[in-house]
Amino acid sequence: MTLNTSDTEVNEDLLAALLDRLIPAVGELPPAGQMGLVPEIVRLSGRHDLFHSEFANFMISFSASCPEFESLSGNAQDEAIRAFESGSPELFSTLLTISYIVYYKDERVHRRIGWSGRPPQPDGNEMELWDESILENVRNREPFWRQV
Amino acid sequence: MTSTNATAEETVDILVIGAGASGGAITAWLAEAGFNVKCLEQGYWQNPSKYATASPDYEFEMLTNWAIDPNRRRRNEDYPVNDSNSPVTPVMFNGVGGSTILWSAHTPRFHPSDFRVKSLDGVADDWPISYEELEEFYDLNDEVMGCSGINGDPANPPRSPRQMPPLPLGKDGEKLISGFEKLGWHWWPSDSYINSVRYGEGRDACNFCGHNHMGCYQRAKSSTDLTYWPRALRCGAKLETGARVRQITVDGSGRVTGADYIDSKGTEKHQNARAVIMAANGIGTPRLLLNSVSEMHPEGLANSSRLVGKNLMFHPFAMISGTFPEKMDTWQGPLSNIAMSQEFYETDKSRGFVRGYTYQFQRSLGPAWIAKGGFRDPVPWGEGHHEELEKRLGSVMALAVIGEDLPEEHNSVDLDPELTDSDGIPAPRLNYTLSKNSRDQLDHAIENARTVLEAAGASDIYVDPMMRQSGWHLMGTARMGNDSTNSVVDRWCQSHDVDNLFIVDGSVFVTGAAVNPTPTIQALALRTADYIVTNRQDLKG
Repeated sequence: MTLNTSDTEVNEDLLAALLDRLIPAVGELPPAGQMGLVPEIVRLSGRHDLFHSEFANFMISFSASCPEFESLSGNAQDEAIRAFESGSPELFSTLLTISYIVYYKDERVHRRIGWSGRPPQPDGNEMELWDESILENVRNREPFWRQV
Repeated sequence: MTSTNATAEETVDILVIGAGASGGAITAWLAEAGFNVKCLEQGYWQNPSKYATASPDYEFEMLTNWAIDPNRRRRNEDYPVNDSNSPVTPVMFNGVGGSTILWSAHTPRFHPSDFRVKSLDGVADDWPISYEELEEFYDLNDEVMGCSGINGDPANPPRSPRQMPPLPLGKDGEKLISGFEKLGWHWWPSDSYINSVRYGEGRDACNFCGHNHMGCYQRAKSSTDLTYWPRALRCGAKLETGARVRQITVDGSGRVTGADYIDSKGTEKHQNARAVIMAANGIGTPRLLLNSVSEMHPEGLANSSRLVGKNLMFHPFAMISGTFPEKMDTWQGPLSNIAMSQEFYETDKSRGFVRGYTYQFQRSLGPAWIAKGGFRDPVPWGEGHHEELEKRLGSVMALAVIGEDLPEEHNSVDLDPELTDSDGIPAPRLNYTLSKNSRDQLDHAIENARTVLEAAGASDIYVDPMMRQSGWHLMGTARMGNDSTNSVVDRWCQSHDVDNLFIVDGSVFVTGAAVNPTPTIQALALRTADYIVTNRQDLKG
């Protein structure tokens, strides 16, 4: 099964299999590949030309380097991923980046890790005022900048 | 948005190239003094309410459309920089406000000793000006930009009252501070151009979103589009956005006459001017000067010393992070505006190097950023991922080392023989290696950072000995000096070669000190404006 972005077809099954190994099941959550994240990964990666081309290159390169990936055992899949990571660290980094961004913006994940999940703005955060007495030691120090 | 009524026939008094930190400051001051000033900016106005921090995709945007590296961001208004010969990649933003749109707004000042490194330590050169000569302009700039902070720092000379109280330290900041306290080492709340209370025109207080490096939705972080530019435009200054300068033009005597540029519609234009002020940063300015070759200036404009583009200085950054056992909500509060330590700032030759460094305290961000590593190695994928993520989220803090990088001629910006921007203008190329003195500084700082992080209770210390994406501070490529054979501009930032050409960005730095440079860049721009107002009324039409 493939998903079509602007000019690249992404092998959805391969991407889901990769996600399963990168972010395994935890608690009540299944492995990431079984969480339905693939369409969002494809959508988001298409929002920037350079990133999109790097992601497409990853999919093409990985597929070529390990065409049998989906049929391998879990341990063999991990070995194949590690081999690719070692040989093409920058391409692999692209996959990790988009995978983590999409996984960690999922509400199910937020609930599990206790993360608010909202964008930084417009609500921001609350911070406490601080007690200036914490400065006492350093304030009492003699000036030590170099006179010229 | 374009706000201009200039025509090709009009001759303005002053043409400023670049609408960033220094371009905004000098345009405002000269316009207020009655000069007819126009600025050409290749980028555009930003709308703070559209900043990506309010988008659910903000973490993706941070690494792409709002990336700090123009080679990653690749907006139409960006130009490529060949950084393949440099371990440090450039960081900048092209738009009204320039790199102050994406900066941290951490705003320490140079020390008096920073202007006298040759006399004191026998290295590089002294500046032709002193801290005392610049102090009133630091104060003026603080007032316009708005500084949150607190007086009394024993590592620095006394200074004028800060406009606002300091930003919160946070539980995380106090945790880091506890290490410095245990060791008896200096620390002090950071001066920051971030509002801790309402200040300035329509500018709210910081709401601690943690992502001020992506543009400030609250307008709490000071950027010159919010501070100097409204003043400048009210005083009649003209600003043309989407205007990319091809070259500075000269007459038969070698004096500048204006600039050739490409407007936002792609039309080639010329702007006449009685004087030109370069404010395009330590990469963009030498690029334009080297692209401005003429019969009178065959090596590039203002380059009789052949030092345009030479002596490129960064602040090479090391980043040392640790994981604390406590959960401290480390994503709350400005990323890099907690406190700094200048315990090791001034030279102590027993350390094996000259000059010194500042520690800038750093927070960390949310789960995707943490998973990808943030300041350190990525969380492992696969088995153990969730456990390690949980351990780090809200618990990682870091110390950034800003070391003083001394000038060396072989560190340079020149023109790439092949690479061009989208208008075919030759792009800059960086040639940079880290000196032994800088490496020794960083290594010393790394060992001390381990010590203080452990004293604060951190474990799992991780060292990035030199961050690649750290070229925030671009300095030295058109240095200031009294001698025209070994400097590009004089003590007033006026070209030795061309009396109606000025340079007011980080290019003019003789040395780089060990602090964020923007307050110094802006103070120099205001000082140059003051000089022009007082001494160059001949430039008024």
